[in-house]
Amino acid sequence: MALEVLIPRLGWNMEEGIFLGWLKNDGDSIAAGEPVFLIETDKATQEVEAIEGGVLRISPDAPEKGTTIPVGTLIGYVTKPGEDDPFDGKTAANVVRATPRSEPSVPARETIAQAQASTPQARQKVTPIAHSAHPRTRKKKRRTTISPRAHRVAKELGIDWSRIKGSGRTGRIIERDIRQEAATPPEDRGPQLGRTIPTSKMRRLTAERMATSHHSTAPVTLTTEADATELVELRKRLKITANQSGQGAPSYQDLFVRVVARALEEHPELNSTWKADAIVVHESVNIGIAVDTEHGLFVPVLRDAHRLGLEEIASRSRELIDRARNGSPRIEDLDGGTFTITNLGMHGIDAFTPIINPPECAILGLGRIVEKPAIVDGMIASRDMITLSLTFDHRLSDGAPAARFLDAIRVAVEDPES
Amino acid sequence: MREITFMDATLEALSEEMAQDPTIFVMGEGIGKRGGNFNSTTGLYDIHGQDRLCDTPISERGFTGLAAGAAMTGTRPVIDYMFIDFALDAVGEIINQIAKMQYMSSGRLKMPIVLRGCIGICHSAATHHSGNYSVMFSHFPGLRVVVPSNAYDAKGLLKASIRSDDPVLFMEPRSLLSQKAPVPEEEYVVEIGKANVARTGSDVTVVAIGNLVPETLKICEQLESEGISVEVVDPRTISPLDVETVLESVQNTGRLLIVDENFAPFGIGAEIAAQIADQAFDDLDAPIRRLNGLHTPTPYSPPLENTVVPQPDQIAQSIRDLVAE
Repeated sequence: MALEVLIPRLGWNMEEGIFLGWLKNDGDSIAAGEPVFLIETDKATQEVEAIEGGVLRISPDAPEKGTTIPVGTLIGYVTKPGEDDPFDGKTAANVVRATPRSEPSVPARETIAQAQASTPQARQKVTPIAHSAHPRTRKKKRRTTISPRAHRVAKELGIDWSRIKGSGRTGRIIERDIRQEAATPPEDRGPQLGRTIPTSKMRRLTAERMATSHHSTAPVTLTTEADATELVELRKRLKITANQSGQGAPSYQDLFVRVVARALEEHPELNSTWKADAIVVHESVNIGIAVDTEHGLFVPVLRDAHRLGLEEIASRSRELIDRARNGSPRIEDLDGGTFTITNLGMHGIDAFTPIINPPECAILGLGRIVEKPAIVDGMIASRDMITLSLTFDHRLSDGAPAARFLDAIRVAVEDPES
Repeated sequence: MREITFMDATLEALSEEMAQDPTIFVMGEGIGKRGGNFNSTTGLYDIHGQDRLCDTPISERGFTGLAAGAAMTGTRPVIDYMFIDFALDAVGEIINQIAKMQYMSSGRLKMPIVLRGCIGICHSAATHHSGNYSVMFSHFPGLRVVVPSNAYDAKGLLKASIRSDDPVLFMEPRSLLSQKAPVPEEEYVVEIGKANVARTGSDVTVVAIGNLVPETLKICEQLESEGISVEVVDPRTISPLDVETVLESVQNTGRLLIVDENFAPFGIGAEIAAQIADQAFDDLDAPIRRLNGLHTPTPYSPPLENTVVPQPDQIAQSIRDLVAE
């Protein structure tokens, strides 16, 4: 193969030299070690010798005498006898070089691949140490991470970063994410993680009962609207009487306890409990009254409500509710309920879906009493209306009996004196 | 302004200092009549003669020890090792005597010695002539280590090194010797221990050492067009290291890459990373990264030589990766 004749690097910091001319002619046979051309560096003039013998082929555009020429410039070839002239009329720039190289003073005959291919098998495998700044990837998923800088900026700007999605390579929150969040109006930001409140024993108990109820019953809610005008009238009269006697008047809730207690006597399947493979129908009607207190939700129980008169119901329920509100209900106050009444009427609610208080079968929700236009004897009249919401456990009762029960209550509400 | 090469700039510095101060003399192999392997003393022999341009046999430990003694007597030796690799033959004298002498004499003796030589990998100089021992010498107390990255700094820092009463290792990146830069004709000195912000930017700080400063500057325009604004800090002096300038830069950018042809383990990058992590932890928006030469003796083969030193495209990719962190 033809050997390239190049401008050599003759000193460590030589980048170019002055070409002083050929010592041989194109086509001359030369021997290894014979001087071929002259070059001047900043230190000296030097003859450059042939590394191998052969036929000298001078590039048609070889440098003129006295030109400054960079190290590594191709100016000729030494070919074997019989080998074609690599230039063949072409200039050095147009010759396809066998081994293009960045480093001219050293023949690079071996590529890296070749060097690796010739490596003895027994050679130790070497892992490069920290050669590159390539990022490493963690396999394990981690909690939200934030760069120290982003953390500092979040603190400075008062940004809650816990819900920000990081744009760093590994999901890390970086400064840019915080600045973007800060530039976003608060109402457009994602949901913020609020403060954490440790739960009270009461809250945990309520949570457990409600979840149990929801998971273990088959609740169905029926609603109906009742005309409570007469009930309202009754209450007015009771109030007047009570004021005269200096006692407290029965509340609407008390009136409903009496109505419900009587209805349950007639519809005992709603006053029952699911027990293994049997339905226990309770003899007594013990009505729980849901009471909202600052300590949580209590359901004190009015025992044998079906046997109590209205005044008794009123006075007992007052006691029970007072004790519950004081946070000191007795154990027996809260035990043994067979049905529950819950009242959201004072909060302006009409209908809702109460959750059954296990192991009871049903719960009645009272809505607000509100004046509405209603049809009475074919005429529009203003009436006091109330919406009743009954949730029952479909395991214990079917829809029709439950509907009959609720309708019985409606009828009783509309004619409370009966 | 005129442009001269790195090597001409250091020759000017030496020449000017020698003309001003007769206590300065140069010792080394081939630095007399021959003018130095890298033209580091060209023409000075004719002016100052053999007493001040003292050719030596190949005996580094001997003439380095001689320099220590000469410095004690009040002269200012400049030892020219050609390649800093050869200073390794004199490490006992450099570290055990030259670096410690001021301390041992309670400051009564000064050690105004410049120990100079080329560093770095290029031109297939192979493993005995490609060393870069700036980190090793920076590890020891009592030495200053200077690595200029351009002709201007080279002249100013060599002047500062010659005038320093402490011993200075003046390390010249060999691949930069013929690189030209504007150098004023009037007198100036570059203070030892002060970094230079070679380019200002806002997204990422790149601390580049020696020959990798111009390599890094080359790719900054390309990265700018990609939307990455790079700040390049050139420490210029490895010991003492100007961490303050790096700190200020990282406070702005939040990201730091250290590019150094040297080996990574226990290197300049590790030192800078540790100090920045300590002092600027809350300013960091991404991990600190390093890009170094391979931890291997230097191969002779040109393609292999290229693979062991960081190339411009690798520097660019490292910067992109860091910005994407």
